[in-house]
Amino acid sequence: MRAGLLGLVIGAAAQLAASLVFLLAVPASAAVNVVAMTTDLAALVREVGGNLVTVESIVPAGVDPEAFEPRPGDLGKLRRADLLVRVGLGYDYWVDALVRQIGDKRLMRGGEASLDASAGIPLLEIRGQSVMNEGGHAHGVANPHYWLDPDNAIIVTASVADALVRIAPAQREQILANRAGFLSRLETARARWSEALAPFAGTKLIAYHNSWPYFARRFRLDVIAFIEPKAGVAPSPAHLAQVISAGSKANVRAIVHEPYEPDDASRLVARRLSVPMVRLAVSVGSIEGTNDYLSLFDYNVATLAKALGARSP
Amino acid sequence: MSAMSDALALLALPFAASVVFVLIHAYLGVHVLRRRIVFADLALAQLSALGATVAFANGYAPTSAAGFGYALLFTTIGAALLTLTRTLARYVSQEAFVGIVYVVATAATILVVDRAPQGAEHVKKILIGSILTVEPADVAKFATLYAVIGVLHWFARRPLLALSGEGAPAGRSRAAAWLLDFAFYLSFAIVVTSSVTTAGVLLVFSLLIVPAVIGSIFSDRLPVVLLIAWSAGIAACAVGLAGSYALDLPTGAAMVAAQAGGLLLAGLAKVLLFVAVEQRRRNLRIAIDALATTVLIALLVSSAWLMIVPTGDQPLLALVESTTGIGPTRFLGVGERDGYESAARDAVRFQGEVERLNEMEKAARYQGTPLSDDEVRRIASYQKTFNEMTRGERFVQETLRGKAQTRARWIVGVPGMLVALAGLLWLAHRH
Repeated sequence: MRAGLLGLVIGAAAQLAASLVFLLAVPASAAVNVVAMTTDLAALVREVGGNLVTVESIVPAGVDPEAFEPRPGDLGKLRRADLLVRVGLGYDYWVDALVRQIGDKRLMRGGEASLDASAGIPLLEIRGQSVMNEGGHAHGVANPHYWLDPDNAIIVTASVADALVRIAPAQREQILANRAGFLSRLETARARWSEALAPFAGTKLIAYHNSWPYFARRFRLDVIAFIEPKAGVAPSPAHLAQVISAGSKANVRAIVHEPYEPDDASRLVARRLSVPMVRLAVSVGSIEGTNDYLSLFDYNVATLAKALGARSP
Repeated sequence: MSAMSDALALLALPFAASVVFVLIHAYLGVHVLRRRIVFADLALAQLSALGATVAFANGYAPTSAAGFGYALLFTTIGAALLTLTRTLARYVSQEAFVGIVYVVATAATILVVDRAPQGAEHVKKILIGSILTVEPADVAKFATLYAVIGVLHWFARRPLLALSGEGAPAGRSRAAAWLLDFAFYLSFAIVVTSSVTTAGVLLVFSLLIVPAVIGSIFSDRLPVVLLIAWSAGIAACAVGLAGSYALDLPTGAAMVAAQAGGLLLAGLAKVLLFVAVEQRRRNLRIAIDALATTVLIALLVSSAWLMIVPTGDQPLLALVESTTGIGPTRFLGVGERDGYESAARDAVRFQGEVERLNEMEKAARYQGTPLSDDEVRRIASYQKTFNEMTRGERFVQETLRGKAQTRARWIVGVPGMLVALAGLLWLAHRH
């Protein structure tokens, strides 16, 4: 009885507090301003937030988030932000410097308006000797391309939905409905993608950068080597010779190349191995026709299946 | 055996390309040296890079016809500017204008590329080039183009050399001199533009200057200068390519370093071998003294550093330890030594565990039963633990090393400093 009464009081107080927070935080008309580090995270926020949010991204499509240099305009974006969605894993530490500059505690790492999208993701390729330094060029603790596994979108959208509900509790139903709608479309599409790539399970590939471990895991591909193992450092001849000989030994079927990267080395390897070079989109918007999260995979799966299918007997 | 043939197959084309580059660039470099506008080629190369970047921002590949067109347009403008500044050189040194052109071109490149995705990557590519992946058709193209330019220069060699040598050629109208000057810069621009797309600004610059400098060290006569420049340049390219293969280094940068090494050797050879006996002996003594002074000063600074901050990084001590194999354990007790060695062993073992788990996860991506998300999470958490443990072992090593260095502080530091001081005093006294 007492517990029931207490529960009732607490419940009422919570409701009152929630509506107060709502009144203070977001006027009913204004959309929630979300700033996402990358176009991929922005695309996922858009799926969950729908027309309740306005989403801006900081790093343009196809640009390595680690190597990105922020512009003065990015400070403006952060000043307007109700929520900052980060890639995490140490790949966007530089944003901390920006946040410090505008002095907004909520957006700092661990702050209430800062969301690390990598939370809960089954991470791949955790490396030793991770250098964790402040502000500067810090290498991440795991491979950061986790959005390239469609199943990870389930986890990321869950975190995004939680964060949005916290900011706009009154829109809870709408947010959850948006996410459920997205997940059901994702489910259907995922069956289609798996079917399209099923015949190529175990296929050996060579990639320009190590961007594809999550994609490879989900679609059962084997990326045996990378043409440019260290981003920005041109491959040495010894390394290329090794990649070519490993590729011919393993019967590699295609070279996967990221858009915007210089492709001369990839073309050389493709020529030597007589296999096609395919450009796959590493992030939303980096290739024409990959303007949302699902079309990113539609494009990559179709392009890869076509390139691999063309050579199979 | 197959690695050897792989290497040859991979390096043959870049070597052929670099021979073509050396032949034309070393020759143009001689002109550049005589005109005393060493940085002009850097400015032109950077303008050409700016042109290629404008093309890139408009969606053309640097090696395409449009890319070449843009680059050539910008370089031609640069050539016209350089010709113009030569007439202005009476008032202000031409180097000043060249410097301005270079800086503005570089800044403009960064501004243009700012909007393009992976622009930074492109800028880097233009700097270091991609000679390793040069295609057969490109080499043929370079050879033809440079042969044509070489032949044209052969026919105009007398007036061109006169112009490079004196600045104001006697017996010619100013218009004729101006035209000839522009023709020189234009041909120069065409060469630099086409080379930069493949060799990169850095390699083009070093191929222009270094072989020509090496040649000029040994002679004043053009045929001799050219012969030495060509042989030295080609040899350095071969060494750079081979070194880049053997030591697993980026090719363009390795070739630039090899050119610099060639220059160093040539300089040493000149002062130690190609001078009169008396002079040679004196130069040798200067070289030995300089070397000894450097070593002694390094020893002095290092010993002082060890005494001031024994637990800090001790580069010279670390070098001695790694070359002699005498570890920091010398100054540790038996127990501490065991601790140090087991920490080193464990750090390696834990890293091995992290790698082993990575391999296991990687194999499960495409063969056998796929790992569930939770299994992957568990692997990741093991790996994080192993990484933490590695860090712990490294910390133990660092602490013990600091302890050893603190004990070595006076035992090694004081004698080191005394030896260094005595040596330096003796050197000073001898003079």
